[in-house]
Amino acid sequence: MTRLLQLMLLQLSAIWLAACAQQPEKASHGRDIGDVVTIYSTTDTTIFEPVIADFKKLHPDIRLNYVELDGQPLFDRFLRESRAGKPQADIVLSSAMDLQVKLVNDGYTQKHRSVNADALPTWAKWRSEIFGLTFEPVVMVANPALFSDRSLPKTRLDLVKSLRARPAFWRGRIGTYDITASSVGYLLAGQDARQSNEYGALIGAMGEADARTYQNVSALIDDIASGKVALGYNVLGSYAKRRVAQGAKLRIIYPEDYTLAVVRAAFIAKDAPNSKGAHIFLEYLMSLRGQRILATRSDLAAVREEVSGRYARLDISGAALGPLRPIPIGPGLMTYLDQQKRQRFLENWRAALDQPRQK
Amino acid sequence: MWWSRLRPLWPEATSIRARLLWQLGIVFVCGMVILYWAATSYARYAADSSFDRVLLGSAGSIAETLSITADGEVRADIPYAALDMLSAAPDDRVFYRVLGTDGATLTGYSDLPLDRNTRPVSNAMEQVRFFDATYMEEPVRFVVMGRQVRIGQQSGWIWVQVGQTREARRNLAQELTIRAVLPILALTVIAIAVVWISVGRAVRPIEAIGEDLAARNSSDLSPINAPVPADIAPLVGAVNQFMARLDNNMGVLRTFIATAAHQLRTPLTALLVQIRSAELATGKDRDESVSAASQSASRLARLVNQLLSDAMVTHRADEKRVGPFDLKKVIEQSLQNTLSISNEADVRFTTTLQTAPMVGDEVMIAEAIKNLIHNALTHGSSGGDGDDAIALALRAIDDGLELSIADTGPGIGNDMLSTVGDRFRSGMENRGGAGLGLAIVKQVAESHGGSLLLENRPERGLNVILWLPQS
Repeated sequence: MTRLLQLMLLQLSAIWLAACAQQPEKASHGRDIGDVVTIYSTTDTTIFEPVIADFKKLHPDIRLNYVELDGQPLFDRFLRESRAGKPQADIVLSSAMDLQVKLVNDGYTQKHRSVNADALPTWAKWRSEIFGLTFEPVVMVANPALFSDRSLPKTRLDLVKSLRARPAFWRGRIGTYDITASSVGYLLAGQDARQSNEYGALIGAMGEADARTYQNVSALIDDIASGKVALGYNVLGSYAKRRVAQGAKLRIIYPEDYTLAVVRAAFIAKDAPNSKGAHIFLEYLMSLRGQRILATRSDLAAVREEVSGRYARLDISGAALGPLRPIPIGPGLMTYLDQQKRQRFLENWRAALDQPRQK
Repeated sequence: MWWSRLRPLWPEATSIRARLLWQLGIVFVCGMVILYWAATSYARYAADSSFDRVLLGSAGSIAETLSITADGEVRADIPYAALDMLSAAPDDRVFYRVLGTDGATLTGYSDLPLDRNTRPVSNAMEQVRFFDATYMEEPVRFVVMGRQVRIGQQSGWIWVQVGQTREARRNLAQELTIRAVLPILALTVIAIAVVWISVGRAVRPIEAIGEDLAARNSSDLSPINAPVPADIAPLVGAVNQFMARLDNNMGVLRTFIATAAHQLRTPLTALLVQIRSAELATGKDRDESVSAASQSASRLARLVNQLLSDAMVTHRADEKRVGPFDLKKVIEQSLQNTLSISNEADVRFTTTLQTAPMVGDEVMIAEAIKNLIHNALTHGSSGGDGDDAIALALRAIDDGLELSIADTGPGIGNDMLSTVGDRFRSGMENRGGAGLGLAIVKQVAESHGGSLLLENRPERGLNVILWLPQS
């Protein structure tokens, strides 16, 4: 039975190849492009696996080539390939929203119009070219064991006060993104700088406390779980929640002054080798079925509110949460990518966080 | 007029409705084209001016952050709002850069296009320019804002350039255009519908008149009395007038036929009686009877000729076939024709004119002159004593030509001078004339705008004067 199926598949592919040979312009990329959709993504492959599996059930004829990359390298590689006229990626999916927006603004993407695209909230899409697929609050994660005798900070101001009040406790025990290495970290820092009055004080205080910086959020959570770090600031909620689900003793704190939320934004490359397949996959990701899979199997809260209520999807009641501020997709995000601004922002950040070590 | 050239656009028989719709259509189409053009350019201007304000605000907010460090370095701190406020045009791409005093890009997109006119202007502290250019294969609206700064001892210009694709502007302009043009389009449709209906109503009375006329019997020439719109009243008036004339002519014809029948019957009866008595008589009586019959026959022939001539003249008077001709030649020809029949008379024609050009119906005039000559020959002689000369004279007088024919006959009674010329009222009726000869002349004269005058000569005979205008 299986052999028969394989034989049939082989025949089918032979016919398909013959058809392809008659279309030299499509075959010029030198690989099978008809049935492979290449995805460049910042999301861990393991997290995305259920989505790929479900899509395969729906479209057994389309093979997904999932390439996991960090935000900045992804941006660089995509840009390099596109400029060279040899695009490899069909779909780019990244939580580095600012870099994604920059690529859209600079014309490396193509439009995608559908009913599902219209159903997304307006702040989660731009130009019908880039679409937010997930909705992930940015939280503080604490190891409750270390806070047995004191209350957990609920706001940024709480955290600043605590850092200043108990330098001995906090020394080397606060962790956050290394924004010079992590593009999501940089995006979040920029948003903090824009939204919060306490940002300068917070950076200063973290510097005083000899904060640890991480390129990878998983490593940070590992250290919190092990007790090496007491609290992580600006952690993607989905990662923390998954770790909690796996049994780690962690406390997730949604800052009450405001809670940022990032979306993983996807677009189809302008010269996608398999544009048709890319549209099908993107449409699937935005569909209710795809969104449900993202929310239930991948633990990435869905951006569509039909899938789950705004607060319900965070597993917390609205009352316990401050203002939720999703970062809107739009040209404003490019502000912190400005060469001069980025340079100075990083300089300031380095100055604040590296200073104590040099002492 | 120049618009008469437009006529070939439609055949003469095209309906009023079609013509009106056609003309109205042209007016509205022209109006639409002009309005569309005006609306498009205005809409573009309006869209530009409203979005330009945002663009300027963005550039201004960047310019406000410009600072110069102690070592003369220009610094820009792009505010979040500068790019974010441009999402007033929700789907437009955004480009910006800051240029230093040396024209090099300090930050932002380094390859943005500049237009030729971006250069420092005199002593102004600040200047702003908007322009359109193509960037990344898309039309982009740019603003360039220049600021004069002093670095050390030198002053220079720093520029902030912000651009945005035209998508939102295009959409707004399109919407404005459509909103401006749609009412006119609706108005056009309404106007055409109104014309369609009102022409139908306006034409209704004409159709009614047509139906009325079609339903009449052939002898009913009474005027149309149906109320009609003022516009077609002249037409109805003309039709009524025409019918009245026709009615009158029919009347004249009827009396003419009756009189002619009467006039012909009497001499015919007399002729028959004379022939019969000639058949019965012998010798001298027979000769007398034959001579009388011959006289009657010739009188009858003349009567028939005159009736035909009168009918011809009457017919031609209605037709008016007018052309230029030489009256002198016509008189000479008429003389030749008439004299060949009765060649014993002494007829003289005198004139000082070389030619006598005039405009009129040559055949009618010739008929009139023949009648006059004939008349003179028939009635104008006193009876064979040798001095029965007939004198014709033609001369030019008062923009016209006057032909006088003088005979030496008995003339006519003064009381009858004025009625001569009326049909069958001849002053010489009792002497064989049916009175048609002068009636024909009179009709010809009148139809040419001329006149006929009769006067008894002081010594003896009748002078007939025919005056005809030259044109």
